[in-house]
Amino acid sequence: MVFSVVVISELLAFILTLAPMRLEYQRWNDLALISLFIQWNGLVGSVTLCALRPFLTRYSNQFAAIVSFLVLLLSITFISELTFSVLHYYLLTDMISAVTHWEFLLHNLLIGGIIGALALRYFYIQHQWRVKMESETCTKLQLLQARIRPHFLFNSMNTIASLTRTQPEVAERITEDLAELFRMLFKSDHEMIPWSSELHLCQRYIEIEKQRLGDRLQISWQVKSVPADALVPALLLQPLLENAIFHGIEPEINGGEIKVTGQFRNKQLILTVQNSHSQNIVHRQGNKMALENIRERLKTHYDGLARLACHEENDWYNVKLTIPYIKKESIKKDSSKTV
Amino acid sequence: MKLLIVDDEPLARERLQLLCQEINPGFELLQAENGLQAIEQVNNSEPDVVLMDIRMPGMGGLEAAQHLMTLTKPPAIIFTTAYDEYALQAFEAQAVDYLLKPIRKEKLIQALEKGSRLNKLQLEHIGQQNTEAPHRTHISAQVGGSILLIPISDILCFLADQKYITVKYFKDKQLVETIIEDTLKSLEGEFEGKFLRIHRNALIRKKHIEALQKLADGRTVLKLKHLDEGLEVSRRHLSIVRKLMKQQIPH
Repeated sequence: MVFSVVVISELLAFILTLAPMRLEYQRWNDLALISLFIQWNGLVGSVTLCALRPFLTRYSNQFAAIVSFLVLLLSITFISELTFSVLHYYLLTDMISAVTHWEFLLHNLLIGGIIGALALRYFYIQHQWRVKMESETCTKLQLLQARIRPHFLFNSMNTIASLTRTQPEVAERITEDLAELFRMLFKSDHEMIPWSSELHLCQRYIEIEKQRLGDRLQISWQVKSVPADALVPALLLQPLLENAIFHGIEPEINGGEIKVTGQFRNKQLILTVQNSHSQNIVHRQGNKMALENIRERLKTHYDGLARLACHEENDWYNVKLTIPYIKKESIKKDSSKTV
Repeated sequence: MKLLIVDDEPLARERLQLLCQEINPGFELLQAENGLQAIEQVNNSEPDVVLMDIRMPGMGGLEAAQHLMTLTKPPAIIFTTAYDEYALQAFEAQAVDYLLKPIRKEKLIQALEKGSRLNKLQLEHIGQQNTEAPHRTHISAQVGGSILLIPISDILCFLADQKYITVKYFKDKQLVETIIEDTLKSLEGEFEGKFLRIHRNALIRKKHIEALQKLADGRTVLKLKHLDEGLEVSRRHLSIVRKLMKQQIPH
């Protein structure tokens, strides 16, 4: 940051030197003096702000910006006064003979104020950009984890290791299921796939979990009325099933039940995932990441036309997804139009 | 050697069983599906080593281990897990043995040979990291060399004597009592939501509060449902008891 301040100050000095139409030989002299003065201002201002950093970070950006700006003006005032008295003391008044004391201060404050505000704005934008980069990297990782729990991968590996000895054919099938799921996971987040494919993937997922949980996992599907050609974001339903298993099946000694229903009404798909949810056990703390992630994806895909709602009722936990019906062809038509 | 395999997943148990048999066909192998069954098995058959999964329904592995540690001669416990970020960090910090699933045979042999013993302090530290199950589902006491488990939901109150803590609880609708080794202070912290400290020597179930009585000598006692004698309330705790009773009236 210090380097940026020095560069900005020096550029300002150049501008101020070049601006007035004057004789060539005087310019170098002017540049030296103006540089000295502006560098002093810039550096003292930045040092003061750095010293104030622990105090400023406690407040909002807006408040910190206003305080920083006032601090800059104050430091400019201080240095201008100092310069003026020094010049006055050594009787070098001819250097600023053209201006009075107040004019000198006012000029400095105006120029310093404008440049200071620009510099603060520049540093603010740079800061924002860095924060955004950091959070983006973090979010990408969280996105992946929200879409599939690491637990699931390692548990599945363990299941396969066990089945390899006793039931090699089942182990083979589960490995294929797992491959299919992960192939889809590594695809782009924006992919839309037909409902029939999504259903197929979800059933592969359930097959894997059934091997692991045995009879404790009971699931029923009532999804025949959903048109097979309806497009949905890939792996939209799967995290909901994963949640249902995590909260409704795994913590119960006797397991539980999951009901998946799909309806097609008014050109909308209504998908619900319900899981039994007994009251008398200590419930696991989820991180709500799966639901948040689905909400985000719905926003990007459907622009506010899709909804995700959750509620608890009579020992059942219900999650309801409402999304507009988009057919395979209509997407193609749209894209051809834009091309 | 007698081994107890504890895991809620049938296939995980099956694999461990096979591995153990291969390591030594002479091992005597037992199985349990959750923490509760594990304690029952330990009571009945006293295994030397317990291979304990962490996430299980009913009672998880960490809590089961805590109860097993109340025994004078607890078995060696080796934790097994597929992926538990927080538990693993705690295990590393406390130098506790654990195996990652799918478990490698060589690692299992190493762990069995080492047969390292847990201690209570290690478990306490690990328990504090366990955000998923912040408190135990049961209290345990050692009775005649085996573990007695008391569900928290059956407990009426904890009373401190000179040296011991007596827990009064319902068993087949009868009020019975037994002596446990915990301290009132730690119990108070662990079960803050359901129990209330009313005196230096008493921690009571909030739901069972019935009435306050002022005695002739100036002391105040609290009557609990199903308990004949009144329990003294110290002056320091009186205002909290009153406040709670006011909140409970609307119900």
